[in-house]
Amino acid sequence: MTTPKGFNSKYYRLLPVFALLPVLLLFLPYVSTGGKSLNGLGMLKAAGEFKNAAGAVLPIFGGIGGLVAGLVAAAALILLFIFRNKVFGYIATFAEAFFAFFEVASFFGIKKMFDATEGFGSDFMIHDLRAGFWVLLIASIAGLWITMAANRFHTEYIILTVMSVIWLFPVFYITMTALRQEGSFYVNYIMPKQPGLENFKKMIFDDSKFHYVRWFKNTLLVATLSCIVSSLIVLQSAYVLSRIRFNGRKVIMNLLLILGMFPGFMSMIAVYYILKGMGLAQSLVALVLVYSGSASLSYYVAKGFFDTVPKSLDEAACIDGATKWHVFTKIIMPLSKPIIIYTVLTSFMGPWADYIFASVILGDKSDYYTIAMGLFNMISMENIDKYFTQFAAGAVLISIPIATLFISLQKYYVEGLSGSVKG
Amino acid sequence: MKQSGYDKTLQLAKKVDKIDRLSYILMGFAHIKAGQIVKGVGFFLLEIAFIFYMINKGVTTLLNLITLGTVQQGMVYDEAEEIYVRVDGDNSMLMLLYGVVALFVIIGFVILWRVSVRTGFQALINKKAGKKNPGFIEDIRSLFDKNIHMNLLFVPLLGLFLFTVLPLVYMILMAFTNYDVNHQPPGNLFDWVGLRNFNELLLSSGKIAQTFWPVLGWTLVWAVFATFSNYFLGILLAVLINRDGVKLKKLWRTVFVLSIAIPSFVSLLVIRTMLNKSGVINMELISLGFIKDPLPFLTNATWARASVIVANMWIGIPFTMLIATGILTNIPSDLYESAKIDGAGPFMMFKKITMPYIFFITTPYLISNFIANVNNFNPIYFMTEGGPLTLEYFKGAGKTDLLVTWLYKLTKDSFDYCYAAAIGILIFGISATVSLILYNKSNASRNEEGFQL
Repeated sequence: MTTPKGFNSKYYRLLPVFALLPVLLLFLPYVSTGGKSLNGLGMLKAAGEFKNAAGAVLPIFGGIGGLVAGLVAAAALILLFIFRNKVFGYIATFAEAFFAFFEVASFFGIKKMFDATEGFGSDFMIHDLRAGFWVLLIASIAGLWITMAANRFHTEYIILTVMSVIWLFPVFYITMTALRQEGSFYVNYIMPKQPGLENFKKMIFDDSKFHYVRWFKNTLLVATLSCIVSSLIVLQSAYVLSRIRFNGRKVIMNLLLILGMFPGFMSMIAVYYILKGMGLAQSLVALVLVYSGSASLSYYVAKGFFDTVPKSLDEAACIDGATKWHVFTKIIMPLSKPIIIYTVLTSFMGPWADYIFASVILGDKSDYYTIAMGLFNMISMENIDKYFTQFAAGAVLISIPIATLFISLQKYYVEGLSGSVKG
Repeated sequence: MKQSGYDKTLQLAKKVDKIDRLSYILMGFAHIKAGQIVKGVGFFLLEIAFIFYMINKGVTTLLNLITLGTVQQGMVYDEAEEIYVRVDGDNSMLMLLYGVVALFVIIGFVILWRVSVRTGFQALINKKAGKKNPGFIEDIRSLFDKNIHMNLLFVPLLGLFLFTVLPLVYMILMAFTNYDVNHQPPGNLFDWVGLRNFNELLLSSGKIAQTFWPVLGWTLVWAVFATFSNYFLGILLAVLINRDGVKLKKLWRTVFVLSIAIPSFVSLLVIRTMLNKSGVINMELISLGFIKDPLPFLTNATWARASVIVANMWIGIPFTMLIATGILTNIPSDLYESAKIDGAGPFMMFKKITMPYIFFITTPYLISNFIANVNNFNPIYFMTEGGPLTLEYFKGAGKTDLLVTWLYKLTKDSFDYCYAAAIGILIFGISATVSLILYNKSNASRNEEGFQL
């Protein structure tokens, strides 16, 4: 059999298998319900009977849709072999895609479909499903894969789609929970039954138990201040260590390297007492000092960047009579936009996400709690049942500005990050 | 050969008059004689301040550092009032802290003294040779030019000293005391115990050693899995997205970057609630008919360990993906073309070209990532808080505790500071050893000057 133009011959030869499979599978045992066993055709009939049962919409859709799409795909493939026209290749691919989608949907919904009439045990998927179901599920995905490959589509899309779903699921789940006005933690569904913004309202305006707005203000203040201070510290130490050769430079660099290997948290108790000695413990200023005090430990990425800025620039400026201060502020800094943004971004996001330092420095001073501490308390054993949906709202609220900021500055972040890799 | 500062000072000392050697004792003498009045007076005042501090406080502070206090807080019968009154004892914790400060003051003074002697002699020699010495104003000005490093590094190093070096030295010393929950100042004293804590942690048959070794083992297992799973899968993801002809590259990337963009404590707490015994995953699995009883995602030791590794992948894979994306675009495309001509398939090209190339460039990243994972607090603490707890372990430690989360618990919950400090030192030992071995084996120890343009 020769391969028509525009097809990948290696996979094209496999296509007949996937043209036959959906048809054959209709006759394999699909599910066994209390002694009697249904095959694919029987399933179609059963799905028709259940169409009025509540909660069975998705499974019926999946069951019927899947089988129909599978048959369409099979038909398109047969037509392709007869007419050898690329159009049928496209149709087959789309049908296979629907086939796979519906089969996966029924994977998640088939029990609910049968539950609507009979009520199955909770290990239904393992005990009552027969080979037909599992083979159909695998065949639909394999069929999609082979058809796409035969048509010279990128099969990467399948993996990327699956991974995207996994990656987006927690985000989707917490957003849906935030929008859910009824129930608490212990519910067995995801889509809210009464969607609304009640949780967000409570989180922002109800100040009786959790002081979300205050946490937000505290965190914003701490993050902004320590971002300014640490960025300055990081940039100036990186500049000096990259550009200026002076006695003790190596000593300082080795010192920074060694200090960086101690767990940062180890010295927290001592820091706490030092701050107490300064009269600052349990305050937001203390947090700013802690976050920015050891900022110079992360000079490395910025140094790597400055190392790549040609030194001839400095020399030329020096010959023209510029001081090194001018070189730093007027020449190097304007050239370093990517690394400045990277530094600012990382030193802003660090304090947002920090929990340990805040928890030691602030202790029980709940007036100064940051977002991380507050949200962590909200899902403790005694709170989670009552306040879980509010926690979700709080989590969504805090993530939106941070994620937006991060994604819009993503480019610089990647540049800085790859700079750090090349070291 | 480079001269050490000490040699230089000795040479300078030979060239100045005998009387000028007075500045060994009177700091700033030489400066004033050479015309640098402000500088000289400044050195002199600092010397006075130091002597004043040593007489007033320093000596007793140093003695206290040796004893760590002798008088315990107690009740004494006051005969006049006919009641017991509390008498404040020594506070070992503060004595240790002030002792460390005193040590640093002395070290600082020694450095200052050497600088003053050397620069003073230099100024005198300059004057003799007829050169003009820079005045105060010029010195200030040089801070923005020749000596800009002193200016720019002052604040960073001060911050580093106050919030990292000083506390770290204090904590390192604490590892050699018995500052645990039973020796809490101000009620009780604590004292030096030498290497006892390390002995207990590493060699004894007590509960604490029975906790340390399994926790260390799990820390290393975690670090290896967390590092390499994220690394390889992240690269694979980057390769998938960056294949020629895959459309919507930016959209795919953004989907995955979302998990970096969301603050990690939020995503970890969300995943934790999802994996809860009555969380959405268990609830859905039951209602979909996969299982009868909820799976012990976070309550069984093995499950919990697997769960934190998987949850960490959710956060970590996109990081590697971003890094690898930057590198992939740099791989010379003729490598792939000639491989294609030789008949290599995509898998072969990935294995023989992409992987070695990325691996070569990212070795330093891989090492620092491994170290970071040894100290990776967030995934463990936010997911399991170290649990499930077990009676086999020292109080409060759980089956998923890393050394660093155990350290946190020892400081924050059970106040066994001396053990926490000893563990911190051991973590440092692990990190330092691993980096030293791997850095030396990798190509990272290259000449940095060679890379500057």
